[in-house]
Amino acid sequence: MGITMVDTSSTLTAIAMMAGIVYLTRMGGYFVGLQLRHIKGIQPVLEALPGCAFMAILAPAVRQGSVSEIVAMVCVIAIMWRSNNVVLATATGMAILLFGGPYLDAL
Amino acid sequence: MTTSKSALHGIRTSGDYFISTFLFGVMFGIAAVSVGLETWQALLMCATSFTASGQFAALEFWAAPLPFGTIALSVALVSSRNLLLGMAMTHHFDGHSLRRRIVWLALLNDPGVVNSFRMDAEVDRLGYVTGYGISMMTSWLLSTYIGLNIAHLVASFDLGAIDFAGPLVIATMMMLFARGSKSKPLPWFVSGGVALLLFEVGAANYLILLGSVLSGMVVAIWQTRKDLAATPEDSDGDNDG
Repeated sequence: MGITMVDTSSTLTAIAMMAGIVYLTRMGGYFVGLQLRHIKGIQPVLEALPGCAFMAILAPAVRQGSVSEIVAMVCVIAIMWRSNNVVLATATGMAILLFGGPYLDAL
Repeated sequence: MTTSKSALHGIRTSGDYFISTFLFGVMFGIAAVSVGLETWQALLMCATSFTASGQFAALEFWAAPLPFGTIALSVALVSSRNLLLGMAMTHHFDGHSLRRRIVWLALLNDPGVVNSFRMDAEVDRLGYVTGYGISMMTSWLLSTYIGLNIAHLVASFDLGAIDFAGPLVIATMMMLFARGSKSKPLPWFVSGGVALLLFEVGAANYLILLGSVLSGMVVAIWQTRKDLAATPEDSDGDNDG
């Protein structure tokens, strides 16, 4: 990413476009859900979806991760499993990425 | 619990992700300076879009002339999980006016939704998620502002190593979600497996997301139908939370 100045009007257009898209995704899912809610037994199906989305992002990320990234992920999951402490898990994972990366990835 | 008390409860319980978001915000501020965004532009983007992953994705393409189509597609794909989060909350935002739901949905956020599933039934979910969102937004704006102002100090520091921080934060949310959700885990494992399979055959990112979520959804439907068949007397399945 090099510095290539973008004019103000293009920047504002892009920011407005991004805001619109993100808001539509937030609102769209909810209103689609409202249309589906009369279907018998739909609630557990809808409530399973965020987990599916998280796994769809996580699995390929881990698959193409380096040694340090995989170690960081394992540590995060282990800490969350044991303590449910988000700050400790995230800080540990990021410390492994920052300080352990050069050593672990050289293995 | 009233909506305002639930919102305060959301703010109070958001400490963990306030800090995680803060780290990302500082990084976003630094990245925004590197592509030439001015302070007010970066803060405006944070306040209106309020999506860490989407904003980072947009910065990847931030060069004149701006590729609007590419930015729109990347932001839409990265934010597509919001569709699923919104759908997951369908049964939990009842009892509020349509106008309030439309406005407050702007603050829908992953950790708020994930944590809301762990709350007691008397907590108002829309208030809770919105309170959580206010906290996340505060953290996001503050930290971005700091990142914008310290960017010159860390210009020589290699931040590439923490590209993987995004998946790490998602892993924490997955763990919280797995513990708080009443859903059975099989659809998630199927989604993960299908995502891996599609990744291995070189499918595009949006196809990986679409294919794996759809397959997880099919499994969830199959499980639900099996459960309904086993307990026909409890087959409403539409119990508003």
